[in-house]
Amino acid sequence: MSSLSRRCLLGALGALPFARQALAFGDSARFIPAVAQHKGKWDARLSGLRRLAWELQRRTSVEVVADARPLRLSSPKLFEHPFLYLGGDGELPPLEVEEAETLRRYLTFGGFLLADANDGSDGSGFDASFRREMARVLPQAPLSPLPATHVVFKSFFMLDAAPGRLLQKPYLEACSLNKRAAVMYSQNDLAGAWSRDDGGDYELEVSPGGDGQREMAYRLGINICMYALCLDYKDDAVHLPLIMQKRR
Amino acid sequence: MSPSYNAWKLVSLSPLPSWLLALLLLGALLGVLLAAMGLFREPSRRRRILLWALRAGAGLCAAFFLLEPGIRNLQVARVKNRVAVLVDRSASMGFPVEPQGQSRSAQVADAVEQLLRQFEGMKDRFTVEVFGFDPELSPLTAQLIREQPPRAARTDLLSALRAIKAGEQGATSRKLSGVLLLSDGADNAELASGVAGRAKSALSDLEVPVSTFLAGKENLRDLAIENVKVDDFAFVRNSIAVEVEVRGRLFKGRQVGVVLRREGQVVASKGISFHSPDDLQTVSFSFTPDQTGRFVYTVAMPVFPDEAVAENNSRSFALKVIRDRVRVLLVVGRPSWDERFLRGLLRQDPNVDLISFYILRTMSDDPMVVNQDRELSLIPFPMDEIFETKLHTFDVVVFQNFGYTDPQLSIERYERNLDRYVHGGGAFAMIGGDHAFGEGRARFAVLGNAMPVEPAAAADLADFRPRLTPEGLRHPVTALASGSISTDAAWSTLPQLPGANITRAKPGATVLLEHPFAVVEGKNAPVLALWDYGRGRALALAVDSSWYWAFTSHAEGSQSRRYDRFWGNALRWLVRDPDLTTLRVTADPASVEPGKPVAAMVAARLPDYQPAAQAEVKVDLYSVAAGKVVATQSATAGMDGVARVEFPPPEPGAYRLLGTARKGERSLGEGEDAVAVRAVGPELADASVRPDLLSQVAKATGGEAFRLPLSSMPELPLLDPPLVEVGRSKDQPLWDRWYYLLLLVGLLGAEWVLRRRFGYI
Repeated sequence: MSSLSRRCLLGALGALPFARQALAFGDSARFIPAVAQHKGKWDARLSGLRRLAWELQRRTSVEVVADARPLRLSSPKLFEHPFLYLGGDGELPPLEVEEAETLRRYLTFGGFLLADANDGSDGSGFDASFRREMARVLPQAPLSPLPATHVVFKSFFMLDAAPGRLLQKPYLEACSLNKRAAVMYSQNDLAGAWSRDDGGDYELEVSPGGDGQREMAYRLGINICMYALCLDYKDDAVHLPLIMQKRR
Repeated sequence: MSPSYNAWKLVSLSPLPSWLLALLLLGALLGVLLAAMGLFREPSRRRRILLWALRAGAGLCAAFFLLEPGIRNLQVARVKNRVAVLVDRSASMGFPVEPQGQSRSAQVADAVEQLLRQFEGMKDRFTVEVFGFDPELSPLTAQLIREQPPRAARTDLLSALRAIKAGEQGATSRKLSGVLLLSDGADNAELASGVAGRAKSALSDLEVPVSTFLAGKENLRDLAIENVKVDDFAFVRNSIAVEVEVRGRLFKGRQVGVVLRREGQVVASKGISFHSPDDLQTVSFSFTPDQTGRFVYTVAMPVFPDEAVAENNSRSFALKVIRDRVRVLLVVGRPSWDERFLRGLLRQDPNVDLISFYILRTMSDDPMVVNQDRELSLIPFPMDEIFETKLHTFDVVVFQNFGYTDPQLSIERYERNLDRYVHGGGAFAMIGGDHAFGEGRARFAVLGNAMPVEPAAAADLADFRPRLTPEGLRHPVTALASGSISTDAAWSTLPQLPGANITRAKPGATVLLEHPFAVVEGKNAPVLALWDYGRGRALALAVDSSWYWAFTSHAEGSQSRRYDRFWGNALRWLVRDPDLTTLRVTADPASVEPGKPVAAMVAARLPDYQPAAQAEVKVDLYSVAAGKVVATQSATAGMDGVARVEFPPPEPGAYRLLGTARKGERSLGEGEDAVAVRAVGPELADASVRPDLLSQVAKATGGEAFRLPLSSMPELPLLDPPLVEVGRSKDQPLWDRWYYLLLLVGLLGAEWVLRRRFGYI
């Protein structure tokens, strides 16, 4: 990442909405991150999402629309964006009944939620309140740590940890519905590692691993997006011999 | 006794009824007892005995008069018993006794004449009746045996024996003294596996000795396929084993090739050698059917010049090949929500075996890694393996927004393979997007031939709701509900889609969904179109947002599963699910014995899948060997849309039944099935004789086993005639004599006189 100049990045970001416009015939198939608008501090990492989308476009064949779409959890528009980011710096206020119901339906019928504790909290703040709300939304699917063998750690990059801006927990947690991880949750402020300011500089320091950890956070973000788009594709039998070989 | 009577017996001639006779006799007995009781006080033993004897004598005389005894003179005669000669009239009796010799049947005719001559000397005791069984019993003579060739398609010895025994209770009451069974013993019914268990009990229950006479010899030179063991159905692309039992007589040390063909094409072949003069060898074939449907397979061996039977060197059987799971190859141009929801659907369907390849990275993408092998989980796109080696193993190939021109991702050099795959019976679906239908750089110049649409203009990005065409209202692929009205309502409530590829339908394509306002050359642009391409099928969906039907449609809380139903329908149509065909032809049965008619059941349905009552059905009988239609039959379907047609018995071989149906001017489609007409039935499949079986039958019934020809007349175990028949009778009374009355009066008078003298009166 360090080899990428700020000018190059800004130019690329500016060109992104128009990329391949001549070929595409709509955004429906593109990856457009939606961001959950809640009553807490929900928009702390919008630039991080934009940056992740850009990296996804650059590194993979996925076509993206980089600008995240802020949507209320009760909005029917939510169902046009199967990828939803829910972050928070501080406590997540209780969801309205309608919001909880819509989110439950969203997740049940195929939507994917990436939750991110922007405050790096553990047992308080966003962490405690998010766990409380998920217990309401999906009482039948409690959050549990994802094993290192989960497909999200090989959906594009080969990974063995789940760092963000922080490394509170070296793993992700997930709520699974019919063997599909419908919710993935990081306590490590993933989007914090991706965020840049208007000048193109990274907004936040990464701790404790520096730029190497930031790159791993990008790769994890890309893997999560790939998982949302391809599900367990990399668990298909055709991939296993090669992946096993790489693991060795 | 009159000379015309040859027997007599003592009878009662009293006209009184039995009960009255019994009462009167009881009274007489009481009279005797009372007299005895009255004499207890008599001191003189001599007087007591004398008086009691006189009373007893009088009682006896009274009983004599009551019973009126007489002599019945009878005229009787002994009845002759039956001896049944049973002659095997099955087709195997037409085999020669030895090469170029007389037939087994002719040998039996000689024996029948010889036996009849022997029974001529016992005609006062036995009546000889000759029957042929085929398997029904019918009277026969030696001359008829010679004149009429044996034709029965099976040998059922036990059934014939039962029938001849049952004749005992029929019109004639003559008892059966014995059965003479003349056969080659080649039973292919209940006794095929020998005399044991229930068959043995059944023979014992006949209670008549069955003497057997073996026709034919064991030294015929013959190759025969005795048995073919194979399941009734197989799974496509799964190995199936066929076990063939081959008997070689007088082929010791010879090598023989056995070939398995599917409707003329060699599937497998093997060589066998025989190790003894009468050797049974088992050949196992294993092959993998690559197409679903019913096919006729034939196992065959060469025919040698001096073989007894040539027709039993081959045997055909029909094998139905079904699919266990639909094997889908999904090739995705790049990850997208359209791909994600289709994958989710196919992965959770237990009837689908999904093999997918996604282009996760193109040549222009930079993953920013130092060591690609270690840091990326990507595998090379194995195009050679997929589109050359394994292509035939897939039921359906789906291209989802796929179309690259990069040398490493372009499939241009495999397009001809794909085109052949579809034309030869495969199924192909192309789903739209910015890499498909002219939007991408790949032109699919060859594969495009298989598609029902062709690119027409740039994509239309406006939101729209696809509209059902009249064909779409009735077609099973777009049937989201039962009935066209409900289906139309279901489609109208689905969310709008964000843009479509603009194509035009080719002549012959069926458009099921169309764009409501995007027009190409005066016609609404097709959104969903399909057609039959050669023996295969192809479908084109000109949007990349069918996932809206799976996900966006739940925005308002509806619980519909229309996306699942649409793709389920599409897959079933692509793989020709029998339930989604409007015309179904079924051979009835699929394997036909020689000389039997070939029949087919045809079920016709209207495009809305209602029974096509009164539809005109036509079925061609197509000979695979001749490569032409050899017969045609027509029929009118009943109210249930089902018709049955029957063809006169065709020559042995593999046939296809090609059905079409019409209802008025409308074609109801085509359907086909396969039928195997066997060269020989079980009767002619084996030229061997079975002396062991005939010996067992004789032993189980108390008879004797003999071999033809008979050098001298054997001693035959037969039951003696026990029955006597009464002709005339005449009764002669014994009681109407005057001295019997005088005796009675004298006894009673003497008793009275003595009683008076002794002071009892």
